[in-house]
Amino acid sequence: MGKIRPEDLEKIRERMARTINMREGDARARVTVHMGTCGIAAGARKIMSTLMDLVEERGIDDVVVTTSGCAGLCSREPMLTVELKGEAPVKYVDMDEDKTKSIFSEHIISGKVVKEYALAIGSERVG
Amino acid sequence: MKSYRTNVMLCGGTGCVSNGAFKIKDALERELKKHNLENEVGVIMTGCNGFCAQGPVAVVKPDEIFYQLLKEEDAAHIVEEHFLKGRPVKELLYTPPAEKSPVPKMSDIGFFSKQRLIALRNRGMIDPEQIDEYIGRDGYKALAKVLTSMKSEEVIQEVSDSGLRGRGGAGFPTGRKWESRRKDPRTPKYIVCNADEGDPGAFMDRSIVEADPHSVIEGMIIGAYVVGASKGYVYIRMEYPLAVKRMRLAIEQAREYGLLGEDIFGTGFDFDIDIFQGAGAFVCGETTALVSSIEGRIPEPRQRPPRTTLWGKPVVINNVETWANVPAIINRGAKWFSSIGTETSKGTKVFSLAGDINNAGLVEVPMGITLREIVFDIGGGIPKGMEFKAVQTGGPSGGVIPASQLDLPVDYEQLNAAGSMMGSGGMIIMSRKSCMVDVARYFLEFLNDESCGKCTPCREGSGEMLRILERICQGEGRPEDLDTLEELGEAIREASLCGLGQSLPNPVLSSLEHFRDEYEAHINDKKCPAGVCKALITFTIDKEKCKGCRLCAKNCPQEAISGEAKEPHTIDQDKCIKCGVCLDACKFDAVLVA
Amino acid sequence: MSSNTGEKVGAVLVVGAGVGGMQASLDLAEAGYKVYLVDKGPSIGGVMAQLDKTFPTNDCAMCTLAPRMVDCGGHLNIEKLTYSEIESIEGEAGNFNVKIRKKARSVDPDKCTGCGECSEHCLVKNIVYLEPPAVPKIELEADDLSKVDEIIGRYSGGRESLLPILQSINTEFNWLPEGMLRRVAEIKQIPIEHILRLATFYKSFSLEPRGKHIVTVCTGTACHVKGAPRILERFERDLGIQTGQTTSDMQFTLEAVRCIGCCGLSPVITIGEDLYGKLSPAEAAKILERYRD
Ligand SMILES: Cc1cc2nc3c(=O)[nH]c(=O)nc-3n(C[C@H](O)[C@H](O)[C@H](O)COP(=O)(O)O)c2cc1C
Ligand code: FES
Repeated sequence: MGKIRPEDLEKIRERMARTINMREGDARARVTVHMGTCGIAAGARKIMSTLMDLVEERGIDDVVVTTSGCAGLCSREPMLTVELKGEAPVKYVDMDEDKTKSIFSEHIISGKVVKEYALAIGSERVG
Repeated sequence: MKSYRTNVMLCGGTGCVSNGAFKIKDALERELKKHNLENEVGVIMTGCNGFCAQGPVAVVKPDEIFYQLLKEEDAAHIVEEHFLKGRPVKELLYTPPAEKSPVPKMSDIGFFSKQRLIALRNRGMIDPEQIDEYIGRDGYKALAKVLTSMKSEEVIQEVSDSGLRGRGGAGFPTGRKWESRRKDPRTPKYIVCNADEGDPGAFMDRSIVEADPHSVIEGMIIGAYVVGASKGYVYIRMEYPLAVKRMRLAIEQAREYGLLGEDIFGTGFDFDIDIFQGAGAFVCGETTALVSSIEGRIPEPRQRPPRTTLWGKPVVINNVETWANVPAIINRGAKWFSSIGTETSKGTKVFSLAGDINNAGLVEVPMGITLREIVFDIGGGIPKGMEFKAVQTGGPSGGVIPASQLDLPVDYEQLNAAGSMMGSGGMIIMSRKSCMVDVARYFLEFLNDESCGKCTPCREGSGEMLRILERICQGEGRPEDLDTLEELGEAIREASLCGLGQSLPNPVLSSLEHFRDEYEAHINDKKCPAGVCKALITFTIDKEKCKGCRLCAKNCPQEAISGEAKEPHTIDQDKCIKCGVCLDACKFDAVLVA
Repeated sequence: MSSNTGEKVGAVLVVGAGVGGMQASLDLAEAGYKVYLVDKGPSIGGVMAQLDKTFPTNDCAMCTLAPRMVDCGGHLNIEKLTYSEIESIEGEAGNFNVKIRKKARSVDPDKCTGCGECSEHCLVKNIVYLEPPAVPKIELEADDLSKVDEIIGRYSGGRESLLPILQSINTEFNWLPEGMLRRVAEIKQIPIEHILRLATFYKSFSLEPRGKHIVTVCTGTACHVKGAPRILERFERDLGIQTGQTTSDMQFTLEAVRCIGCCGLSPVITIGEDLYGKLSPAEAAKILERYRD
């Protein structure tokens, strides 16, 4: 897209709102790996590549793996947010490869929150 | 807080907000007013309820009625039916699942529930490398509003009314700063974002730039439009490679969309931003040194007034967090922003919690929150239930605040009055494991190292104070040293050229005030109560606890530990270099430090 | 020589007629000594006149300087040797023989009133002739030269381009070799002294070659209270070097940095681009070992 006008913002916003909230579209789940400097230092890259591998291995196409910045709780990095369509996001902390794998198969695929690793459900308050 | 007959707890979690929770809030308030109910029914934004899928959701208290999937249009209906006639609106009702979720909600977790995100509004929610995601969460909306429908004066009025003050440390009113530069007839003008973040132990600015670079860019463009600047710089520390990378990418994407460059939004306004990387000098965070650094001169601070200029032209320098607040203020209005915080300090402040604390991390809290809430409710207290000793705010320019002042509300004035300062927002929590003399020595060492050397009080004064503190830590302190420190501190504060020197004595003076007994223990008893200062401690092995596992002896680099297997060991004090390896190695807490 | 000792001569030579030199000369002259006041510049006064205020008292610089210049200028016991340089000094305390070269100024100082007319009418006004300093030849390998030229070419502009250039060189080579700095000075027409001041002011530059792995221990506040000093000591012991030094096999350079912004993971170290947090000295030492060849 080239230069945009104020009115284009609304269009982008609507398009993004649909994908971000997963109200529509093919995505069934979205997994966010929090990759700020702390996250990366604590091993977020490995979590990311594990997830990518899992998605590829199983030929899954309705799970979006994305990155985001620091989620704030640096001492519990790496962190992961899993959001299934129509459900509240769940934050996982102190991730490693094995935990990622079990979260992938239990939560992302079978829809059951892995409570041993989960920190909390929901999102933060803004404004 | 006002008390109401009924409260509508509207979810302000990120999920609900992106589905229009704020619009619903406005609509509810409008409708309530229409029916003269505004004094009976309060609308309160809360943390996430965890029912994001049904969002926006609201709970009406005390009746505990749960509404879901609200829309702006529903407001009128709810007010009329529920609050006026007392009949809950059936179509919108939701019954939360009865069984208790095994996982706590975000709003139940202290770390998150007391936070209020404005500068960090998009943290963890968007991919910072995708401009569309930022736009998807109302990004660049404020810019469009400013460029198409607001005059500079109006924007400045809004920012002034909001009560926004600089988040870089000094807390200068941002609107006032902009106004003075706007009136300056010289052109071209410049905008600088100060992302130098020199305070060792603080990482707010890094996090904001890494998690949401566009919010900073948007703030800068608004600032540029207001003062009439054509060029901007983001001055980032070289220690933050990821922040540099994300900022660079964000600038490129903004250029591609025509949000930077010529003729922004087709309004004829031109502005562009470049990144300037620092090279490791704390003093470069000071505005006059920062501009010298950009100009390629030696970054030594200069006397002010005259006002700081860049290449002899007017420049607005604001901190990362200050810039990130601007779009939110434009979007939601000065009234909303100024409703948060205390009399003199409005809005929120981002702090980085680190040191001896359970939940180290980044927190954004409303001004006026107490230190106790930050340390215990949000930070989760000290690891292993140890006793809280002090918190250092304001970094090397700030001071320590002892446990007795934990109920201090956090705002610019209160922290100054307590002998510390807001600073950029670093908070280092210390437990009994930290020696206050050592911490003061540490800061002086830092400042002595970072003093640019231009003015004598700071250069020589910091050296002298450091020598005294080192002497005390070595166990060679003299009783008169404490008075000398105080006297020197006063002189340095009075006579130094820039903020670095003027605030340099703070860490020493404040710890002297609150922890004089620790200094005296070092000087008179030749003891370091916290067990930190090497010259004053000895390592010994507790005969009762030692199981003779030989682990310490194997690890000791000096071979100073002897003893048979399964027999208690001993440390040869002549060989011991007090490296602490045995202390780390021992699994039975048998190594004693005294 | 020894026969000469003890015979003190009642004259003093003061080198440099800045404010310090002038004050010393005045004190000595008042005490009755004959003073020779030498300065290589064409007048006494030094650089203080260029300052606006002085620290720590914020006194006006000219107000401090001017009375001393006037006193010095008129004092009968002070012989001013301006535009002069010392060629040699012989002898010992109490009895020196100093050879001073007075450069030609073509003005008779006894008659000159300092009216400034000559300077006003001079065709090559205000240019004091100083011997140009010898410029050392730049020693660089051809590869390095083309690389550094390429880096310099990336940044246009004068002084404001220096920091980015130095950063690029530092990233590329891990340090700032002297030849390259001279090359920057030559191409940008900026005095090498200025470049050196910048290079020494900022912590991230090194004027010495650094090792293959740069090991940095964060000594920011959070890391300090969480035990960073002990990690640093451990590394110093394990590597056998002090902070700031490089091992003799050029494998490791040990540095301390004030906060890398990962305070939530304190104490933190970085080795090259890799970052490790929440370490005990023993764990840190283990990680370091992994980088040894
Ligand atoms: C020694 C010293 C270091 C400073 N370091 C920083 C810094 O790292 N980041 C910052 O934003 N402000 C820093 N400041 C404050 C700035 O001088 C300036 O007040 C601030 O950038 C202005 O922005 P604000 O009004 O948004 O706070 C420092 C000040 C001093 C005296
Ligand atoms: S203090 Fe070490 S990373 Fe901040």
